[in-house]
Parts: sequence; C-alpha cells; structure tokens
Amino acid sequence: MSAVSELSTIHRVKAKTPEEKRLAAREAGRDNKAGYLFLLPWLIGLVVIVAGPMFASLYLSFTNYSLIQAPEFIGLDNYVRMFNDPRLLKSLSVTFIYVIVGVPAQLIVALAIAMLLNEGMKGLAIYRSIFYLPSMLGASVAIALLWRQMFEADGVVNQILRLFGFQATTSWIADPQFALWTIILLHVWTFGSPMVIFLAGLRQIPGMYYEAASVDGASKWAQFRKITLPLLSPIIFFNLVLQIINAFQSFTQAYVVSNGTGGPADSTLFYTLYLYQRGFVQFQMGYASAMAWLLVVIIAAFTAINFYFSKRWVFYGD
Amino acid sequence: MALNRRQFLIGAGGLAAAATTMGLGACAPGSSGGGSQGGGGEGGETNLALAWWGNPTRNKNTEAMMAAYMAANPNVKISGQPGEFSSYWDKLATQTAGGQAPDIIQMDMNYISEYGSRGALLDLGSVDTSKFVEGTVDSGKINDKLVGVNAGINTAVIMANPKVFEKAKMDLPDDKTWTWDQMIEVGAEAASKAGVPTGVGQLINSDTMFGILVRQRGKNLFTPDGIGFDVADAQAWYDFLLKGVKAKAFGTPEQISEVLAKPLDQSPVVVESGAMQYQNSNQLLAVSEAAGQKIEMLRPPSLAGKATERKGWYKASMLWSASAKTKNPEAAIAWINWFANDQAAAAIDLAERGIPPNAEVLAAVKSKFSPEQQVVAKFIEDTKTEVGNTPIAPPPGGGTIAELLSRHGTDVIFGRTSSAESAQKFVDELKSNLQV
Repeated sequence: MSAVSELSTIHRVKAKTPEEKRLAAREAGRDNKAGYLFLLPWLIGLVVIVAGPMFASLYLSFTNYSLIQAPEFIGLDNYVRMFNDPRLLKSLSVTFIYVIVGVPAQLIVALAIAMLLNEGMKGLAIYRSIFYLPSMLGASVAIALLWRQMFEADGVVNQILRLFGFQATTSWIADPQFALWTIILLHVWTFGSPMVIFLAGLRQIPGMYYEAASVDGASKWAQFRKITLPLLSPIIFFNLVLQIINAFQSFTQAYVVSNGTGGPADSTLFYTLYLYQRGFVQFQMGYASAMAWLLVVIIAAFTAINFYFSKRWVFYGD
Repeated sequence: MALNRRQFLIGAGGLAAAATTMGLGACAPGSSGGGSQGGGGEGGETNLALAWWGNPTRNKNTEAMMAAYMAANPNVKISGQPGEFSSYWDKLATQTAGGQAPDIIQMDMNYISEYGSRGALLDLGSVDTSKFVEGTVDSGKINDKLVGVNAGINTAVIMANPKVFEKAKMDLPDDKTWTWDQMIEVGAEAASKAGVPTGVGQLINSDTMFGILVRQRGKNLFTPDGIGFDVADAQAWYDFLLKGVKAKAFGTPEQISEVLAKPLDQSPVVVESGAMQYQNSNQLLAVSEAAGQKIEMLRPPSLAGKATERKGWYKASMLWSASAKTKNPEAAIAWINWFANDQAAAAIDLAERGIPPNAEVLAAVKSKFSPEQQVVAKFIEDTKTEVGNTPIAPPPGGGTIAELLSRHGTDVIFGRTSSAESAQKFVDELKSNLQV
C-alpha cells in the first residue's frame, strides 16, 4: 500500500476499530520515522564526530601510539604511569585552582551585574549586549594575545597602576606567582553568558514578594538572602554545573598566553594543555588518550557531587 | 501530482540525510585535494604534495621554485601546503597518522628522528650530496640512513645591536677570545651603561647554547645510546644563568621569562632593549629588517678563550624529507635532488633557508645574495676552522630538550629551586622522555 492511499484511508475514517487503531499506530510510527530523518544530520554528526573518536580514544588509551606507527596494545600501562607523573599532578593542581577560584568568582560577578541590570535602567538592551560581549570573545586567540600584552611589564595594567603612583614593574604574565591569576581574571571577565541566564531568572521572580518584604521592613540584604537566592537557586545550580564543566576544559587562554608551554615554570600548565603536549609535541597519543579519560572521570565526579549537594540548597519552589 | 505534507517531510528528510552523507563524504580523507594520492594520474602526470613552514619571503620563493620545476618537468604537478611553524607539526602528525603525509616534507632537526626512527621517512641515499660541504650531510642521518637532506647551513651566533653599544660608549667585544664569564661582564656593562634591561638575551631556552657549553666540556647533548651529558654539565649551565642574572647581564627573571613568549620582531636586540642575544645565523636578515638597522654577528664564547676551541658546528636550518608512503618516491627524490644541486633552485631561494650546503651552487649564486646574506656566508666561511664534529639528531623524545631546559631554568632564576636540584630534575625528565 502506498503512503498516499494509506493516508487517504485514515483521513476518511475516524480511528475506532482495532484495525483502525493499528493503522493509526503505524501512522504514528511513520511520524517518528520523519522525526528520526530530521534528527539524522545531528545523529550522524554525533556518531561520526563525537562518539566515534571518543571510543577510538578509549581504545587508544590502552595502547602505545606515536601517531606515526600503528598503536600497540599495552593494557593499563598508561593509567599506571599517570600515578608517577609529577607534571600531571602539577597540571591537575593548576586546573583545580582555576576551576575552584575562577568559577565561583565569575558567577558572583555575573549575578551582581545581572541584579544591577535588573533594576530597570534605561538602555538595558545596550548594557546587556556590552556586558555579554566578553563572553563571545573570551576564548578567542585575539583576546588571549591582548591579555598577554595588557599584563606585561610595560602593559596597560602597569601603566594605569603607575598613574596612581604605584611602582608597578612586575610582569604579571611572566612571573610564575601571578601568571595563573591573570588567566583566572580573564575567565571572570567573560561573565556574560551566566549573567544573561541570571537576568532571565531574576525576571521570573514576582515583584510582589519584594513589596511584601519591604512593607514588613526587611532590609535589601535580607530580601536578597530570603527571596532572591532561594528562588534563583535552580539557575545558580545550572550555571555552576555548566561553568565547572567548561572551566575544566579550558585550553585556548593558557595555550596562547604561554605560547603553548604552560610557562612560566608550568604555572599555567592546564590539564588540557598538558594533554596536548603529550599527544602532539611528545607523540604519546596513547598516554594523551588515557589523560582525556581521566578528565572525563573527574568532570563526571564533580558533576555528581554537585547534584548530590544540590538537594540541600536548590529550591524548586514547590 | 501535488505533494501532501507527509510526503514532503519524508522527501525533505531523505534529502537532508543525503546531503549530510555527501557533506561528510566530502570531508573524508583523500578528497581534500592535498595528501599523497595521485599515482600515475591521466596522461602519465605525477602529482606531488610539498609541505613547508615559513614566512612571506619563503612562501614566495617556494611557489616560484615549484613553478620553475613544473615548467622544466611538464609531467610533474606539485601542489604546495604552506604552513606556520607551530601548527605545521600538529598537521603533519595527524596527516601522517591518517596515511596522508605530503610527499615532500620540510623537516626540522628536533623532529627528524621522531619520524625517521619510526619508519615514516623515505631513504634519500640516492640524492647526490657529493658536492656538500663537509659536516653538512650527517645531521640528516638517522641510524645511518639519510632521511633528511640539509636545505641550508646555519650556525649559532650572538647577535649584537651596535646602536646599544654606541650608547654605552663601548666597542664590540673580541669574539675570538671571549669566554662565557666575559660575555656576562660585557653584557652587564653594556646594559648598565646604555640603560637597557638586557645585556644578553634569549639564552634561557637555547638548547643550542647549552649544547655549545656541553661540547666545550668534552661531551655532546646526545649519543646514539641516549643523553650524552650528566647532571654536573646541566648544573654548570644553570650556574652560568644564575651568575648572569645576579650580575644584571641577562635582565630580571621576569624580563627573561617575558621575552620567552615573544616573537622575533619583539626580541631585545630588535627593539633596542638588549645589547646582544642568541640567534641562528640565517635570521640575520629578519633581525636586521625588524630592527631597521645593521646588526652584528659574534661567535659564541668559549671556555678556553680561544675561538678555535669553541667546537662550533654547522646546523641544518631545515631539511628536506620525503614520506615513506609516497606513491612517487622517484619523483620526490628528483625534486629534492634538484633543490640540492641545481643552480636554478638556488638562484630563486638564495640563502633564505640558510647558506646552500652545496659548495658549487653556493659559488654560483653567492653574488646574488643580499648584503646580509653575504655577511652570513662570509661568517660561515671564516669560522670553518672552528667547527667540531657534527652532533647527531636528538633521538625520539629529545626534541623536548629546549622546553625542559627552559622550564627548569625558570625555576632556578626565580630562586624556586637550586641549580643542582633543577639540573637533576632536568636530566631525569629528559631521560624519561627518551624512554618512551
């Protein structure tokens, strides 16, 4: 039976008998088929571009693979070696500091700016766009290059400090003590996307709560703590989970600011940067693949912990 | 027949699927135009892919050489894959992994054994190197097999900015007698008198300068068995660095570390924030042009204070290699042979890739060199008697030496570790990199 004639049958009669119900079910099945067809471009992309390489890397993580010669199976050796790799520990500590300091700092700034913009000022759309801009540029090479020049010994930052009479001669990006903090600052500066999400969340909170609270004499701070924070907590949670996952995978900033070395003295050796060095500079793609899977486990663990503790502070309003 | 909504959907879905599949097909390896496919082709045409990294001048020269070669050999078609140094190696590694390496590959000393010792490079034993100057062929040999043909001679030098010395009211040092300690003294004096931060720059990540010191101590960076130096040699280097920093000859630790991440055109000698810096000789033109003035070349110092005992060597600024998987090995070898021995090639490229190692070719094209290139050619000629044996290429994993040297050196100059501790860590890490 062709699709057209089948279709006309269904259209003519209302489905009531078992026969008709079966036809209707088939009809629904075909609808699903069309859905899958529409899904296909994405699905093929997922399988070929994401899932395929992911499982390939899982296999490679059990091999010694130089990229040039065929991979050679070595079992768990790569994973065992990771325990005796001082630079791996260093890169983990750099990345953890970046995530644990950078993400909350960025979210606090994002929330503060969002609340400011929520006060209903004139030209809100313009301000919102301006504040969002860094988010779009932050991970770009151009901004990372700019950042490097800003924090040099004779960079803009020091020149401004000198205007205020400070003896600023430190090169912030060249000193192992400070280099990571300039990159954390860059991360905080790209607060735009969590800010826009916060702003949407703030708009959802009914104004009458605040009115009632001020009639009862609650201070602004009390209103923030007792109304804004609880009602916004699902949004905060969402931003937190997303930003932590993103931050663990940061690469561009450190790569550009340190010229791919993670320097000075490994102070900006992000985990992903070290992974890249192992894979492409030292031709140890097997080890790099094992590192990638360790990162998957770490991110999954962080996300799980986040979800576990979310029960204690995230308020879904019912 | 009019389409109803559902037919349209199914059709569109099918189209989308087909388009996606085709789109993916177009991304599949092999159809992207590059790569080493081609074989015979129609009409007996031979296709070669040629990859190099470079700068605008080199890109122009290489395109011109390809055109000249194709004009002389109408059955050969060469497609170029120009690149930029850092991304060049990522691309080459992935291309090689996918069996799509370019037929002809511009190679670097730090990478040649990664590829050569893993069987990825073609044996170039049939390329004629009989006219090459002594000591210029061996660097391209891995396990006694020639896998890279020297594309230009290069040697380590100290470049000096005469303007800074003028400002300091000092003469250039006598580079035939100066020692490592005197280099620190001259650097410190020039920096303080001229009021610039750096006396001698770009030393911290120079595995070449470290190699010179190691050779003068009677060893080599690498031997066929692995590392050729010990912790004491590394410590001597770090002590030298520390001494220079304390004497205010190399700039503050921050300045040293900052220069590391900067491109050539912002280096100390170029921007007149430094009196001298380590450099390779083939960069004289680039440094002079960036600085907009004449730059002088000095010999690296020696422990003995005698240039004849400084154990210099001719580096291959870069080499030509061919993929072991090329479908046209003869054609690839023929092109490399042409570059190495034909004056037509040298007349185009001149000394852009370094001074031609082929003595006859050099004699024929020398008059066409730019003034700076002539200075370099003369420098290399003049220092012929100061050259020692040719160091072997770093073994696989050895290409990381510059990065390791620099990282542990940064710890030393910032006072985070002692020179002894850093030396030990540096040697240990290099050893473990070589094992894999």
